[in-house]
Amino acid sequence: MRIDYRIDHPIALHAAFDVEGFTVLLGASGEGKSLLLRAIAGLTPAQGEPFHGMAAQHRAAGYLPQGYALFPHLNAWQNVAFSLRGAQRRAQAMQWLERVHMAEFAERYPATLSGGQQQRVALARALARKPQLLLLDEPTSALDPVTRDDVIAELIGEVHEFGIPALAVSHDPQLAAVADRLVLMHNRNVIQIGPPNLVYANPVNGAAARLLGHRNVHRGRIEGSRGARRLIWQDGAVAFPIDNQNDTDIEVDWTIDPEAIHLVDSRDALVEAIPATIEVRQAMGRTTQLGLRCGQSRLWASISSDTPLPERLAVHLPTGAIRCWKKDSLS
Amino acid sequence: MSHGNARLSAFVSSITLLLLIAPFIGLALATPWRHFGFADGDASAIGVSLIYSSIALVLIVALGTPLAWWLARHQIRARWLIDVLLLLALLTPPLALGLLLASMYGPYGPAGNLLERAGLVLTNSAPAFVMAQFYSALPYYVIAARAAFENVPRELEQIALTLGHSPWHSFLHVSLPLARLGLAAAIALAWVRALGEFGAVLIVAYYPQGIPVKLWVNLQDIGLNAVYPLLWVFFIVAMPLPLLLGLAARRRHLF
Repeated sequence: MRIDYRIDHPIALHAAFDVEGFTVLLGASGEGKSLLLRAIAGLTPAQGEPFHGMAAQHRAAGYLPQGYALFPHLNAWQNVAFSLRGAQRRAQAMQWLERVHMAEFAERYPATLSGGQQQRVALARALARKPQLLLLDEPTSALDPVTRDDVIAELIGEVHEFGIPALAVSHDPQLAAVADRLVLMHNRNVIQIGPPNLVYANPVNGAAARLLGHRNVHRGRIEGSRGARRLIWQDGAVAFPIDNQNDTDIEVDWTIDPEAIHLVDSRDALVEAIPATIEVRQAMGRTTQLGLRCGQSRLWASISSDTPLPERLAVHLPTGAIRCWKKDSLS
Repeated sequence: MSHGNARLSAFVSSITLLLLIAPFIGLALATPWRHFGFADGDASAIGVSLIYSSIALVLIVALGTPLAWWLARHQIRARWLIDVLLLLALLTPPLALGLLLASMYGPYGPAGNLLERAGLVLTNSAPAFVMAQFYSALPYYVIAARAAFENVPRELEQIALTLGHSPWHSFLHVSLPLARLGLAAAIALAWVRALGEFGAVLIVAYYPQGIPVKLWVNLQDIGLNAVYPLLWVFFIVAMPLPLLLGLAARRRHLF
């Protein structure tokens, strides 16, 4: 489904992209993502397709706001039956609850349900209205971190099962990673669209890389003549040679994969190394993420958990693993 | 420390409650229980109070609720002006309110003159009685009902719209049930204000006599002893509605 909306107030925003399957619109807070969803649902003035000019109650959009907004005075099945009419409404509501595996909680009031359970009831309520499009505002924000992956898996499974295109807006890179289609928004513009694996592998610029949760995204500057280019990393208080750049005297965003960083001993002077100290260790099974302090900034390195650390720690950044994006004046 | 605080606040609370209850202890002690009897016209005063207060209450709810809703939900440019107006109505001493009503709706008042020609007499008549109660209780109702509506999350009303309900349905099925505690309090407050109104009613509707004016008349004509029995009845007839409203609103399914 093609989304093309223009909002003038309270902030100016224009977004046009296709929603296919479970589509995630990823953007930092303050980008107007929630506002865009409200505009599509008809709750804030805007121009665009689909549903152009229709009142909110006539738009076939299932809207799940942040926190799900279940009616606190109604129990689960009454919430689901809210959009249903006629004698069969209770039976129909129960069917919807069964489809989201919540039938046993039909008599429970929202205050007694967990975040994930509330989300499923809200989903059933939105689906019962027979929408052409689902709109989900930060669907992972109210979830318990321990169960969130399961809840997201369930949500996506259900969206696929019902076959209704869903647009989720979020700033959560983990949610973005499981989307069928990913739309990145920066400075109120769509900056990249594609399947998540391609977008993750090739972020279009530093802002996109930051949105996607890449850990080592830093500002820098390329200087020097061809053959002797150097990347000046001011926050890290170092400069190192870089050979894959054509331009010089430009501001860049640069990044390096945490796994590509080599830990070396600073007494070993064979390579150009940056002195570093360990700030934090994130032990995650076989790999350990090290938060390394370099000057005013931090680099994340990913190492095998059984690797011994050098006595005088320094890091070496292989030139070939560094990616640079020329900073445009917009960002 | 917190233990001491709890004790202190319990102590102060007991004193406050005792002060609150003292006049009623006085009433219980002063009532001539052996010669408990009503003065002439007490029964009709009870009827007048109940019937006309009910009418006034219906009018207050019918006209006050839309205003309260409008004030709670819409961006209004001259909002401060409306707030001042409500405050003014709230602040006007009852006796002064009666005089103002007489000046507008009395036989020589601009509105009273017109209405009288149309057959509606707003002096010493049932409509005048209802009008005085309406004016004295309306601002209380509007302010309390507005607060009740303001406490309903707007997001829930909007969700009702996205689920295919019209704004009117959304009001009926979401806003009203969620505001019910506050609305019940507003109705109870309006009822108590209307039923107990003396000053304004005295000026514009000495007749028909409701309980408050009859209490005054009994005191003047007969003496204190003739006041107590009617006062007991006043409490008995005034109490059930607020109590019932309070109980019903605490249950989930009022609407």
